[in-house]
Amino acid sequence: MQTRDRVNLMQVDRWGYVAAGVALLAWGLRRRGVLGGSAGGMAAWLMYQAYTGNNPMFEPLDIRVNRQPSETDAKETIIVEDALTIGKPREEVYRFWRNLENLPRFAPHVLRVRVEDERRSYWEIEGPHGGSVEWESEITRDTPNEEIQWRTTAHRKITNFGSVSFRDAPAGRGTIVRVHLEYVSPAGSLGAAIARMMGRAPQSMVEQALRSLKQLLEAGEVATTQGQSSGRESARTH
Amino acid sequence: MKATCWYGKHEVRVEEVPDPSILNPRDAIVRITSTAICGSDLHLYDGFIPTMRKGDILGHEFMGEVVELGSEVKNLKVGDRVVVPFPIACGKCFFCEKELYSLCENSNPNSSIAEKMWGHSPCGIYGYSHLTGGYAGGQAEYARVPFADVGPLKIPDGMSDEQVLFLSDIFPTGYMAAEACDISPGDTVAVWGCGPVGQFAIQSARVLGAERVIAIDCVPERLTMAANHGGAEAIDFEQHDVMDALKELTGGRGPDACIDAVGMEAHVHGAIGTYDRVKQAMMLETDRPAALRQAIMACRNGGTVSVPGVYGGFLDKFPFGSVMNRSLTIKTGQTHVHRYMRPLLEMIQDGKIDPTFIITHRMSLDDASEAYETFKHKQDDCVKVVLTP
Repeated sequence: MQTRDRVNLMQVDRWGYVAAGVALLAWGLRRRGVLGGSAGGMAAWLMYQAYTGNNPMFEPLDIRVNRQPSETDAKETIIVEDALTIGKPREEVYRFWRNLENLPRFAPHVLRVRVEDERRSYWEIEGPHGGSVEWESEITRDTPNEEIQWRTTAHRKITNFGSVSFRDAPAGRGTIVRVHLEYVSPAGSLGAAIARMMGRAPQSMVEQALRSLKQLLEAGEVATTQGQSSGRESARTH
Repeated sequence: MKATCWYGKHEVRVEEVPDPSILNPRDAIVRITSTAICGSDLHLYDGFIPTMRKGDILGHEFMGEVVELGSEVKNLKVGDRVVVPFPIACGKCFFCEKELYSLCENSNPNSSIAEKMWGHSPCGIYGYSHLTGGYAGGQAEYARVPFADVGPLKIPDGMSDEQVLFLSDIFPTGYMAAEACDISPGDTVAVWGCGPVGQFAIQSARVLGAERVIAIDCVPERLTMAANHGGAEAIDFEQHDVMDALKELTGGRGPDACIDAVGMEAHVHGAIGTYDRVKQAMMLETDRPAALRQAIMACRNGGTVSVPGVYGGFLDKFPFGSVMNRSLTIKTGQTHVHRYMRPLLEMIQDGKIDPTFIITHRMSLDDASEAYETFKHKQDDCVKVVLTP
């Protein structure tokens, strides 16, 4: 649990806000009247957000920006964190995750993982429009039964990095799995916010992955209704 | 196969849909021999439960014969007759191990939707909106039953469908509501709503040792049923002021426990009834909690309010000051059906209770659309409809 940094806009967003603010202000000054006045007000609000680096509308979406990520290749990142308790021993959960080829079984949109050696693996991820994206991932630290850290690149550019840790839950209640992920958002915080609303952001993927992992390890299968029947496809539906 | 599908408010039709298939190793396919319409299905019918989609197959009270098994189901075989509990539970998670099956952490594929609405997610439920998983229901010829090695109860030979069908929901639901009242000798239990769950709550309160049971409703046939089968004293809320009547019947103190078997669509006259209807219609509150308010106000100091009635969201004018200042205990939850199926089956076998008394209508699955209308408007003294494919 981290204290919330008020900054949830990336540099690209802030410059965008400044540009939009200047344009609106110029238009408002020319236009004048009520409409011009409100454009001026809007411009002031955008500039104020650019100055503080905080858009209050992104707060409920849990958009958090790290301006000084530990991976210096990534200038700015969006932070994703989630944790879940899984009712299995730490060793078992760690072992299942460490065998990276298991990940497509519980991580959404991960089509294939090919392990090259102890450190390197290649990932095929389902793209937003049916295509696929390839990643190269490198394990940067591996403490058995405790933590795995990784860094992922596509076309030599860093896309994400993070860690998954495994801690004992109290009183033999299993393992607390905690994921900390930071990713480079090419479309800034605005892009991340839109993706979040569409349910395709890394935040929802991490949440879904943890839930499915829990189901797979505890119940032996991932709960689904994919492929069940309904009156939607029936011939007489109108 | 034929299936009862939801297409919108007051629009339910039997349609031809594809047969279900095994999707997971712990699934089974059941050929349904009997299914029932639940009072809570009427909340879907009336359009008060969010996240329903056109074409969803309804029904969470069903039983039948196993026709196909997933590779991991070892305790059943093809041909077994089973009753299926309405909550879908994995049997392995933290909550299942505590026998809190309706809180199973692993059966709701849409838990993120439920978390937005309720903070955390309960289990998956058949045919009960996408908040609880969007699972296809059992008012159909066949149904897919996930975690079939945990849920379905095998029925001994010689017992009829009608004797055991209600183990799927309403009998355990009424029983759990009565059990939550923690009944001591001499206790009076008041039950709001004499629909099927209320009737089973009344009978269960008797079995668990209540001295007196008071039934509150406005439908004369239902009050008569409560009196004849559950030995309950009746209060018709259209004829009497419930608070006054309860004070009088309990020597001024109030019932030791109150059961709200009504839920989110309570009918009540006067200003507060109109207030709830208007706010619900304008979507300013999701539920009309008139029965619950009254159950809280009526309950004796330090008593228990048990709520098997279904609520969906956010309630107005909820008298929490009465709960706090008078040390009331509220107990509620979707029923942990798996916990009760076997003991209640034994109770039926021993002749302590005969659940068939509740059935007023036997109809064909083909007539499901008409059955919903009849049940909703309590036409023809309808209390419970059983459908057979």
